[in-house]
Amino acid sequence: AMAGRLEPHLEALRRELRAPDPAVLSVLLALLAVAVTLLIWRFVQGRRSSRKAVLLLGLCDAGKTLLFARLLTGKYRDTQTSITDSSAVYRVSNNKSANVTLIDLPGHKSLRLQFLERFKAAARAIVFVVDSVAFQREVKDVAEFLYQVLVDSTVLKNAPALLIACNKQDVTMAKSAKLIQQQLEKELNTLRVTRSAAPTSLDGSATGGPAQLGKKGKDFDFSQLPMKVEFVECSARGSKGEEGDADFEDLEKWLAKIA
Amino acid sequence: VGFQKILTLTYVDKLIDDVHKEFRDKYRNEFQQKGTLGLLNGTFDFKDDFMRLLRDAEESSKVRAPTVMKTFEQSLKSQKTVKCMIETRGEKPKEKVKNKKNKGSKKEGTEAVAAPGKASAGDKQPSAAGDREELTKDEILQKNREEFFKRHMKAGEKSSKSPKPEAQKEKGKKPRVWDLGNSNAKVLDYSNSATNGSAEACPVEEFDPDTALGDRNREPGRLYDLEYESDDEAEEEKVIQNPSKPSAKKGGLGGMFGMLKGLVGSKSLTREDMDPVLEKMKDHLIAKNVAAEIAVQLCESVAKKLEGKVMGTFTTVTSTVKQALQEALVQILQPQRRVDVLRDVMDAQRHRRPYVVTFCGVNGVGKSTNLAKISFWLIENGFSVLIAACDTFRAGAVEQLRTHTRRLNALHPPESHGGRTMVQLYEKGYGKDAAGIAMEAISYARNQGFDVVLVDTAGRMQDNAPLMTALAKLIAVNAPDLVLFVGEALVGNEAVDQLVKFNKALADHSMAQTPRLIDGIVLTKFDTIDDKVGAAISMTYITSKPIVFVGTGQTYCDLRSLNAKAVVAALMKA
Repeated sequence: AMAGRLEPHLEALRRELRAPDPAVLSVLLALLAVAVTLLIWRFVQGRRSSRKAVLLLGLCDAGKTLLFARLLTGKYRDTQTSITDSSAVYRVSNNKSANVTLIDLPGHKSLRLQFLERFKAAARAIVFVVDSVAFQREVKDVAEFLYQVLVDSTVLKNAPALLIACNKQDVTMAKSAKLIQQQLEKELNTLRVTRSAAPTSLDGSATGGPAQLGKKGKDFDFSQLPMKVEFVECSARGSKGEEGDADFEDLEKWLAKIA
Repeated sequence: VGFQKILTLTYVDKLIDDVHKEFRDKYRNEFQQKGTLGLLNGTFDFKDDFMRLLRDAEESSKVRAPTVMKTFEQSLKSQKTVKCMIETRGEKPKEKVKNKKNKGSKKEGTEAVAAPGKASAGDKQPSAAGDREELTKDEILQKNREEFFKRHMKAGEKSSKSPKPEAQKEKGKKPRVWDLGNSNAKVLDYSNSATNGSAEACPVEEFDPDTALGDRNREPGRLYDLEYESDDEAEEEKVIQNPSKPSAKKGGLGGMFGMLKGLVGSKSLTREDMDPVLEKMKDHLIAKNVAAEIAVQLCESVAKKLEGKVMGTFTTVTSTVKQALQEALVQILQPQRRVDVLRDVMDAQRHRRPYVVTFCGVNGVGKSTNLAKISFWLIENGFSVLIAACDTFRAGAVEQLRTHTRRLNALHPPESHGGRTMVQLYEKGYGKDAAGIAMEAISYARNQGFDVVLVDTAGRMQDNAPLMTALAKLIAVNAPDLVLFVGEALVGNEAVDQLVKFNKALADHSMAQTPRLIDGIVLTKFDTIDDKVGAAISMTYITSKPIVFVGTGQTYCDLRSLNAKAVVAALMKA
């Protein structure tokens, strides 16, 4: 009986397909085209939004732009304080197919936050460049900027890999990576106390206040963060000065791992 | 990048534009094809071009050489005959005048020249009679000087003569005695006793009813309303609207196509496109209590930034402008250097000195109230506070602070903080010098081991010069770690004036190379404004210093920190 009931409908459909009514057919084709377009569009969006960028952050005069130039071209370049971002595709040396987009952001106080806002969503990894020579003087500023990067909601959600590159190791007075790590941990420990004790924001409920960094109760440690953190020493200028190569094998190895 | 303030060269802006265009045009291909790698790898041989442009710019701005002085032969004087230059005593005034004019003397006073004084004539005569052609400049000067003195002497003689006839005239007047003790009411009473109270007091000729009453058509006894001039304005608006309407109709079809074209294509923004949108935005900002000049400057800078920018597909001019304005506002509100008071207090603790905060502002903005709130917050974080009552003028200021101190101590008794009193008041009563009290308070805090000193000053108007000097002296002498300007969120255009004048006063009266200016702003009475939060923008724009605290009420817990994004969202909300 059921088959009987379906039969006339199937017959009607078969008749339609054999003698197509142009109006109905065109409508069906149009709907199909729209559906396919939507699928392709979503696919393309998904591809584009996959994070392929490595951000170079740091204070002013940390050596980001020189590091950027060395990584891309291998040559030494005289650089000026950046006032805008620069981006280029970096091919990892041994593996030709793997590439990342290196983005060099300005470190100046008035520009760094707005450029970070623009690029943080696309970041797969962050290289935080620290001037090892002037570190002792600039500890508070370095820690403040690092803190701002770490408590950012987008960064916490995506948890990009973090590399802290202690630059300018060719100078004799440069501090070692271990010392920089200890100092930063101490300073960040203090900062998270003072920042969370600041008066709550105007619409406190909406933003929920600054995120807590690390575990409460224990002293701050970089291992408490949700992302992988590494410290390397490097020198963008290189031990032989301007003619020779830059001294950053660790950095390149890390980039190869990331790509 | 060029810094205009170091070298005030007039051609810098134009030079930068020219260099920019030339560089871009010359290396256009490299940029377009290779992008950043082209920048890094390319060699840019631009030095010759740059030197050429620099030379052009310098030449265009060179001031014209000062005009060369005429030689003696070219001047008129050499063409005059000898005879007209001879001066003799008793010469006619007309010739003297002509002589003077020829020599280019500016001294007028023809009548004074008329009779050269007998005294100076003697020494003049031999030189006058002699070589006429070689009247040097010095001699001319000397001659003029002598004539000038002669004139003065003449005038002196004249003036000495004139008071005498006047004095004789004065004797004729009746002496007026002003001695109150002997005041004779009768002598001073000039009224005509016969006319007091009588109806014919004012002679009829002097009183004109028309001019006195004004409008003759008014109803007697009725009180009219204040007349508006709105009728004229309404007429003007109607007149303006009428011509615009037909033009709108004509451009209707074209406008629609233009809008569609603008939606889809890649159109670059021009000033004309942005102007109506910016006008609307400016009015919106002013309606939200942003100072008028700040709103104008903001819109100008957004226009400059967006000029020539290529819009993406499906973005309207309005949305682009709004987004740019929003970004600019967020950047203004987010400070360059975040003032972290707790961190700095910890630093000062390590160096065993107190952290000094000074509050300044105009009258009635809430300095004392917010000082109490901030001290409560500091105590909650475990720092001991000394309040210095440097408001020695306003009645009740010291008592107000004493009450706050008592309340805070009741909330945080010494027992719960290891036996030390968390808040103490340092006061010296009324009428004393504020700077001196502040200095004593700071040294007292150092001796007793207080962590923070909060200095409360009297409210003062920004154009009250002596009070501003006193404030500047207090800040210059005591060198506080943080100078906070307290401003209320209700203030409108006044904010600009207040902050500018306060900063100026602090800079002018400081002896140091880098004067202490306002370091941060406390925005008070934030709960009284709904979303008219424009005062925050005005204040941060003027000083470019961050808003450290926001006061949102009168209890101790009503202290907040600024959330830039929320404020900007409230500002841009329609």
